[in-house]
Amino acid sequence: MAAPLIVARDLSKTFLVARRRGGALGALRGLVDRGGTEVHAVAGVSFGVGRGELLAFVGPNGAGKSTTIKMLTGILVPSAGEATVDGLVPWKQRKRLARRIGVVFGQRTQLWWDLPLIESLELLRHVYRVPADRFRSNLAAMRELLALDPFLATPVRQLSLGQRMRGDLAAAVLHDPPLLYLDEPTIGLDLVAKARVREFLAEINRDRGVTVLLTTHDLADVEALCRRMIVIDRGRLLYDGAIDDLRRRYGTHRTLVVDRDGGAWDVAPPLPGAELVKTEGPRAWLRFDRQKVSAADLIAAVAAGAPLRDVAIEEPAIEEIVRRIYGEGTGAAVAEDARSGRTASSGGTLPADEPDRDAPRIIPRSP
Amino acid sequence: MGRVSELMDELTVCGHLAAARVRSEMQYRLSFALQIVGTFGFYTIYFLSIFILFGHFETMGGWRVGEIAFLFGLAGLSFGIAHMVAGGFASFSDLIVRGEFDRVLLRPVGAILQVIATGVQLRNLGDVLQGMVVLGVALRLVAIDWTLGRLLYFPVVVLSIALLFVSLFALQATLCFWTTEATEVANAFTYGGRDLARYPIHIFDGWLRRLFLFVIPVGLVVYAPSLYLLDKTDPLDLPTWTRFVAPVAGLAFALLAGAAWRLGVRHYRSTGT
Repeated sequence: MAAPLIVARDLSKTFLVARRRGGALGALRGLVDRGGTEVHAVAGVSFGVGRGELLAFVGPNGAGKSTTIKMLTGILVPSAGEATVDGLVPWKQRKRLARRIGVVFGQRTQLWWDLPLIESLELLRHVYRVPADRFRSNLAAMRELLALDPFLATPVRQLSLGQRMRGDLAAAVLHDPPLLYLDEPTIGLDLVAKARVREFLAEINRDRGVTVLLTTHDLADVEALCRRMIVIDRGRLLYDGAIDDLRRRYGTHRTLVVDRDGGAWDVAPPLPGAELVKTEGPRAWLRFDRQKVSAADLIAAVAAGAPLRDVAIEEPAIEEIVRRIYGEGTGAAVAEDARSGRTASSGGTLPADEPDRDAPRIIPRSP
Repeated sequence: MGRVSELMDELTVCGHLAAARVRSEMQYRLSFALQIVGTFGFYTIYFLSIFILFGHFETMGGWRVGEIAFLFGLAGLSFGIAHMVAGGFASFSDLIVRGEFDRVLLRPVGAILQVIATGVQLRNLGDVLQGMVVLGVALRLVAIDWTLGRLLYFPVVVLSIALLFVSLFALQATLCFWTTEATEVANAFTYGGRDLARYPIHIFDGWLRRLFLFVIPVGLVVYAPSLYLLDKTDPLDLPTWTRFVAPVAGLAFALLAGAAWRLGVRHYRSTGT
């Protein structure tokens, strides 16, 4: 495979949070006396991204996802570490890099608020100096892919959130960037709009070979789109690998859903190596560890107690797995929390798992 | 050569951005018109009140009403031009607070040019028009001896003062990379400097005069060239060359502001999303 598109090595960003002082004099003193608390927003993050990948950065609020992306776009200068994007050092060759990346912030539009959408796109043609014929064909493709026509002449301030996001997506790729960053692209969107965004990302990744790196809270985005995810919390990588591996490694618990034939579950079903989550009329949910009991044995045992009409096995949601990975980090991060004043995420322990041979990277947390 | 054509390209892009900015402003025609009329009216009344005061005393620090009007118009016109151009700097703290400076850094155009182009405030035309009207009144009251030197120097002075004010606004904006809470203090030098420069600076007391002559030379670039243009004697006895130092002061502050800005961008912290 060709050289990776993004290489980040020990990337770190430390912010000095100044003590607040009142009034104009206080603000002036703040300029002179830089005393304050250090917050390690990103603390030594390393990873690589290959061309054509579609991957997600996942983590809670304040985990350092956006800060990492902002360093990779050249907006922020890192405190330590190095990175190259398409062979350029982002914060040193920012303007050159800008031509090769598209960036979408879910919460902020890059479109001109008071002008019709088409005028924003025309302006961006000038900003990125897109040749006229290239612009025409790209615009035609985007109009179809994102169904822009109904609101192309509408001022951006009058667009719905979903329409605005479609406009922003078009704006981000009109100059044919090989790399697209998206920060929370589905935030606040309804299900239909979310699905449209995901379809769009999958399509430009597949058909145009655009490398896509997105941050999200919504793990449904990740499950629908990405093969690889990076979990980040408190500025550190907690997991970097395939989503399937993550599920295999952490998702040892599955849920068996059984519908009994005729009547409700008056008596609890037999549970060899499983626990009853709940029952609802004829349906029961049984959580089991697939390393302790096989699904076949469990079904056989339940079927022996009552006639069954239907069975289904639910895989653990990525969301639940990620919650458990966050839990892993809390112990060692206590000292850091005390300094940054953040609250620890909900606890939880990881199952003692035997290491796979080609296991994904689980990054140990050093104090 | 490559750098020159690159700059020309960026300026073309900025032309498009500035035009878009003006089109956006025009979306709110009434507010646009009211701002121009309002500013014009405000400074006209301000100027008339000074005019009326001169009914009671003939001169102010040895300057007659027409000469004061000249200072008033020169400062107003130059500041007005700067205020139109540097609107993006004057409101830069909003850009920082809302995190919108991120977007500036994501575009393949120099950040300073973008902030200027996307912040053009055509609605500050009121300042400019009013300055021109007062200058017109002044020229009727004072008979300036328009030698070739004066004729050529006058537009240079206007642009130099404007450049100094743009640079001061840029410095004020640069401060926002460290704190967005000190802009009020910086306003004392920009808006305050303009108000002070409308009067002959020798009427002010020691430290204030020295501050605006030698530190933030807003007073110097309006007062000293006016001595030359109006052919006045200087009670402060400033060296003669100070009458021609305005372009140097403007350029020096522009370079200073540019250097500070580059340092500031490296300190940019963005906001959490």
